[in-house]
Amino acid sequence: MTTYIIRRILLVPLLLLGVTIIIFGMLQFLQPAERAALYIRDIPKNPEALESVIRTYGLDKPIYIQYWNWLVGQKNPNTGEIHGGILRGDFGYSRVGAEPVIDMIKHRFPATLELAIWAIIPIIVVGVWLGIQAAINHNKFIDQFARVFSIIGYSFPAFVFGLLVLMIFYANLKWFPPGRLSNWVIAEINSGSFKTYTNLMTIDALINGRLDVLWDALRHLILPVITLSYISWATFLRITRSSMLETLNQDYMTTAKAKGISTKVAIKKHALPNALIPVVTISGFTVVSLLGGVVITETIFNFPGIGSAAANAASQLDVVTVLGFALFNGVILILANLVADILYALVDPRIRLSTN
Amino acid sequence: MESRNQILEVNNLETQFSTWEGVVHAVNGVSFNLAEGETLGIVGESGCGKSVTMLSMLRLIPSPPGRIVNGSAIFKKKDLLKINEDELSTIRGAQISLIFQDPMTFFNPVLTIGEQVIEPLQTHLNISENDARDRAIEILDLVGIPNPAERLKDYPHQFSGGMRQRAMIAMALICSPQILIADEPTTALDVTVQAQIVDLVKKLRSELGMAVIWITHDLGIVAGLVDRVIVMYAGYIVEEAPVKELYRAPGHPYTKGLLGSLPRLDANERERLASIEGIPPVLYRKASTCPFAPRCPYRIDHCFNENPKLMEISPNHKVACWVDIENRKER
Repeated sequence: MTTYIIRRILLVPLLLLGVTIIIFGMLQFLQPAERAALYIRDIPKNPEALESVIRTYGLDKPIYIQYWNWLVGQKNPNTGEIHGGILRGDFGYSRVGAEPVIDMIKHRFPATLELAIWAIIPIIVVGVWLGIQAAINHNKFIDQFARVFSIIGYSFPAFVFGLLVLMIFYANLKWFPPGRLSNWVIAEINSGSFKTYTNLMTIDALINGRLDVLWDALRHLILPVITLSYISWATFLRITRSSMLETLNQDYMTTAKAKGISTKVAIKKHALPNALIPVVTISGFTVVSLLGGVVITETIFNFPGIGSAAANAASQLDVVTVLGFALFNGVILILANLVADILYALVDPRIRLSTN
Repeated sequence: MESRNQILEVNNLETQFSTWEGVVHAVNGVSFNLAEGETLGIVGESGCGKSVTMLSMLRLIPSPPGRIVNGSAIFKKKDLLKINEDELSTIRGAQISLIFQDPMTFFNPVLTIGEQVIEPLQTHLNISENDARDRAIEILDLVGIPNPAERLKDYPHQFSGGMRQRAMIAMALICSPQILIADEPTTALDVTVQAQIVDLVKKLRSELGMAVIWITHDLGIVAGLVDRVIVMYAGYIVEEAPVKELYRAPGHPYTKGLLGSLPRLDANERERLASIEGIPPVLYRKASTCPFAPRCPYRIDHCFNENPKLMEISPNHKVACWVDIENRKER
C-alpha cells in the first residue's frame, strides 16, 4: 500500500511538468506582445515601449529560456521587482477581469467549490442508490423506471433543463433566485458585519451562526445543484446498475448464498464492495469536471464560479486568462486522480497488494 | 448399505430454464437417495444436469431464468424445495455445504480468506469473533494450509489454486455439515493437486462422518472415492449402481462409452482411446425417444419410439436402456 501511494505521488511532478509544457506550448501561438500579459498589467500601445517590454521579459529569447522565465518569473531591471512566474503563483494579468489571473481564480473558485461539494452528494448518493435498486430489482418496475429516467437524462441537454427549472422555480414560483447571494448579504459582507473565512458561504454562515445567510446561500444553490445532479445521475445510475448486475452474476455470490447468508447481507457484504469499484472512477471524473467549473450551469444561473469566468474570458479572446484557468484545472485534475487512485487501492486489495 | 439411515431423498426433481430459443429441460425427473456417511458419485458430460440437480436441491439456481417445476428433496423430514427461504438459509452452509469447481471465481476477491471462511460460523452460530477465528485456524490447519493464522489475512489472489480449493473445503466444513456436495472440485486443478484434494476429502469424510456427493465427469476419480455412482445424461439418470458393479458390468451404453474413453495403464500404447461421437442434446421438450439413441452403437428401433425408464437389472443396479448390452438383445 505504502509503495503504491509513494509511486503514485512520485508521478505527480512528472504529470505537472507535462501539463506546463502543453500550456506553454499553447501560449506560443500568441504574439509576443500578447504574451506580455504574463508579466505586466498594462501592455503599452507605443511600439517602442512595447519593444522594450518584450526585451525586458525575454519574449524574443529562445523558447527554453522563455519557458524558464514563465516558470520562475523575470526581474524588471528598473524596479528590481520580479514579475510573472507560475511557480510563484503568478499566472499573468487578465484583460477581462482587470486583475491578476490568480486573484480571479481566488475570487471565483470558492463559488465553484461550494457548488461542487453540494452537487456531488446528491449525484453520488441518489445515482448509486437508484443504480443498485435497478440492479437488484432487475427487469421489475423500478429497473424500467431507472432506465427510462437515464435515457431522458442522457438526451435532455443541460441548457434546456436548466432554463426549464429557472423558468418554473424563479420566473413563475419565485422560490429560488439565480446568482450566488442576495444583495443584502453582499451588502453585509462589504460592510464587514458578516465576516468571511472560507468564502464557502454555507460554511461561513454556520461559523457566523447566521441561519438567515445559510438559507439565502442554499436557496441560490438549489437550482444549479438540481441541474448538475440531473445531468450526472444518468451516468452514475447506468454504471452502478451494470456493474451491480455483473457482480450479482458472479460465482462468489452463489458461494455466499450457499453459505446460508441472507440475500440482503450477501448484497451488502459481497456484491457492493465489488460493484462500487468502477463508481470510484467516475466519481473522480465527476469531481474534476465540477471543480473545473460547469460553464453552462454557472452561466444559466448567473453563478459567479470559474466556469462562467472562463467562458467570459474565452468569448473575449483573453487567451492568457483562459490558459491560466486551464493550468489550474490541470493541477486539480492531477490531484483528484491521485485521490481516486488511492481510494481505488483502498477498495480493491488486488491493486493494494500487487507487487509489480 | 440399506441398513443405513437415508439422510436425503430426492424425488422426481425437474428443473427448466427459459431461454430465447425455448424452455430448456435441464433436469427431468431425477430421483435418488443418500445414506448417512455414504459417498455418492454423479457422473456425466458437461451439460448433463449434474450441477443443476445439486443447485436446484438447495434452490441456488439463478431464477429467473431457472425454475424448479416439480419434485421434492427431503432432508431431515423437511422438503428443501418447499420450506421458506429463511429456514433454507439455516440449512445451507451449516448442514449441507457446497464446494465448487473454480476456487478463484467462487471466492470474493475483495474479502480476506479469513473473513470468508469464518462467515458460515458467524451466520449459523452465535460465536465470538475470537472463537470463530480460532476455529478457522483449526480448520485451515486440518485441510493442510500451512501457517493458517497468517494466511487468514490473505486475499484469494494471494493463494495458489490448490490452496484456494483447500480453503474452499475449510469454508464448507467449518460448521461440520452432514452432507458435503462437491461440484467438480478438482477440474480446475492440475493432476497432482487433484489427487491431494481427493485424498483430503477422503480423510475428512471418515474423520467427520459426513455424506459426500461428488460431481465429476472423470470416472477415474470416482473409482477409489465413492460407494455408489449415478450416471446422468441429458437431465435423466441413465444408470445407478454400486461403484464396483458399475466398473465390472456397465449396463448403459453411455456408461460403457465413458469407461471406454478412460486411458488404461495396461492398454496397448498404440491403441487409440475410444470416444463417444457427438455431443449431448439440449432438450426443448421432454424426451419421447431415448436421448442417447443418436450416439448409441447398440440402438435398436424401439429406442426411437419410447424413452426407457430406470429398471432394476440386478440388486441395486438400475439402468435406463432397452438393450441388454452384454448379450446384445432387447430387454
